[in-house]
Amino acid sequence: MMDAGRHPRIELLSNSEVTKVKGYVGNFTVTVKRKARYVDEKECTACNECVEVCPVAVPDEYQQGFSSRKAIYIPFPQSVPSSFIIDMESCLGNNPIACGKCLEACDKNCIDFDDQDRFVDLEVGTIICATGMDVYDPTEIVEYGYRRYENVITSMEFERLICASGPTEGHFMRPSDQKRPLRIGFIQCVGSRSEKRGVAYCGNICCMNTIKDTLLLADHYPDTESKVFYMDIRAFGKGFEDLYRRSKEAGAQYIRGLPGEIVEDPKSKNLVVRVENTTAGRLEEHELDMVVLAVGVIPRHDAPVMRQLLTLSKTADGFLMESHPKLKPVDAPSRGVFFAGCAEYPKDVKDSVTQASAAAARAGILLSQGKVCIEAITSRIDGDLCIYCGRCAKVCPYNAITAPDRKKKQLPIVIEAACAGCGTCAAECPTDAITMKHFTDEQILAQIEAYLAEDPEDQIIIFACNWCSYPGSDLAGTSRLQYPTHGRVIRTMCSGRVAEKFVLRAFELGAPIVLVSGCHFSDCHYISAVQWTQRRIEKLWEKMEKLGIRPERLQLEWISAAQGQKWAEVQRSLEELRKKVTKEEIGETRRILAQERARKEKKAKGRPKAGAVASEQE
Amino acid sequence: MPGEADFVCLRCGAHFKMPYEESEGPKERACPECKSNSVRRVKEKK
Repeated sequence: MMDAGRHPRIELLSNSEVTKVKGYVGNFTVTVKRKARYVDEKECTACNECVEVCPVAVPDEYQQGFSSRKAIYIPFPQSVPSSFIIDMESCLGNNPIACGKCLEACDKNCIDFDDQDRFVDLEVGTIICATGMDVYDPTEIVEYGYRRYENVITSMEFERLICASGPTEGHFMRPSDQKRPLRIGFIQCVGSRSEKRGVAYCGNICCMNTIKDTLLLADHYPDTESKVFYMDIRAFGKGFEDLYRRSKEAGAQYIRGLPGEIVEDPKSKNLVVRVENTTAGRLEEHELDMVVLAVGVIPRHDAPVMRQLLTLSKTADGFLMESHPKLKPVDAPSRGVFFAGCAEYPKDVKDSVTQASAAAARAGILLSQGKVCIEAITSRIDGDLCIYCGRCAKVCPYNAITAPDRKKKQLPIVIEAACAGCGTCAAECPTDAITMKHFTDEQILAQIEAYLAEDPEDQIIIFACNWCSYPGSDLAGTSRLQYPTHGRVIRTMCSGRVAEKFVLRAFELGAPIVLVSGCHFSDCHYISAVQWTQRRIEKLWEKMEKLGIRPERLQLEWISAAQGQKWAEVQRSLEELRKKVTKEEIGETRRILAQERARKEKKAKGRPKAGAVASEQE
Repeated sequence: MPGEADFVCLRCGAHFKMPYEESEGPKERACPECKSNSVRRVKEKK
């Protein structure tokens, strides 16, 4: 951190918050709120005079509340810049008449109670998102008694208690009586790998952290007895198995089973841990002086704000979703944005450094080239047809379309550097004013018409997205899975491209069944485009019902590239549905939709026209 | 407590209840019977 702070080409903006991000790769404008510190960070020499006179003491967040700090303080010993900051919520000196003792004590006049928050705009080409994570609060697991029993602490609190720069200067003691604990229990997976309480995924770092803690205890206090209660130890990294072995050799006992209850002896404050030892197959009770809960890792509480600022999506776990889990693991779906550390998923220091290095390299490549290669598949707006409704700008998952202004006759503009080519805008445009290059309406309609030119009642029209469902069908084929052959596949980049008119045209031409298929929500390659697909299909079901067409004839499936088996099963189900659609039903549908189309065409003739072709070439 | 709504599977015709919040965006749903994603919310008739 010191190195970064001193680097001539790195500007650290501490005590700051990103409030707005505008633009696109190569041209981001980031608005940063620089919060008032009330201390001149350039002049302050951290002499400590102000701290000595400050009368306010509040719990020290860095020390997990085990010690106190003053209202004027340095957040942690290695913080950069190494200067004081005033916690104005706790300070009495907002009105210098009330206190102002730090002001008097500071010989260099560094303190300024009139300091204000400032907003600065930064022009940057790329952004690396390294916003970290939060830890799980185990209070809700009442049987472990966290906050009820003084000697039940979390792994984060353990770190402070045993650290030389901690509140006890590394003299490990238990909170209830400040005596050194001789029997310590560690409970793993607290708030992790649980569907009911906490999160379902593995915290990734807790096993190795506990192993390290047992070694620390064995090193500092060889007479301490450590017991680790676990489901299974995940020591998967380089050198980790060796560390695990050393921990066991150093005397740590590993007991397979998560405790069901902790009970405190009110007098001694000792803790009795009741556990089913699944290796021995018996119920056990262990009396301990202290219990450490290895708490899980959760996404940051303000992660939704970051996602909104940078137009990012999340995985089912709530962490930021990468562009591709194998091929672009540090890239965000929005071009020019990269991830490092636990914002993307829980990881240890080594993996965080690895990912940060990769992110810096990926950002460096873009910046050194000075130009970006964009997709050929982008959208284009025809000003003659646009009615300024702004629907395209609203649905774009990348904010790649500027909102139009009807009064100023300002057409929406497609920022091609930001457009990823999902085609949701084209599918949602009510006047067909948007052309999706390489996946135009004419091209897709021509495929539908060709498939249904002969024996349409035998064909099932399937729209499959490029990234998941289409490869899923490929996998079914290469796996030699057997399924009916009535499906006729039309590939689109995203299921979001499948416009209402494609589906209705297929029914009008005699298709008995239509399937729209895309990525699972958590896998969507276009942030949230798949959600617009679902909304559109739900509307279509309603519309079909109103028109007198059975909604069951329009099917929706989320099929990943790895689900060849699901693809085959869906085809078999669709074939069963197809057999139930009679020729009479198809004929009636054709008649209804032909009438509907004639009505729409008549209505469209009276529509106003505006502007010229708008597309900003980047 | 999250709200619930009635859903119908457009593949197998099964009727079932699932968590549903009007304010939340679309969610991936699957029929508990046939696992199809062609799941439609049954709106209350006014």
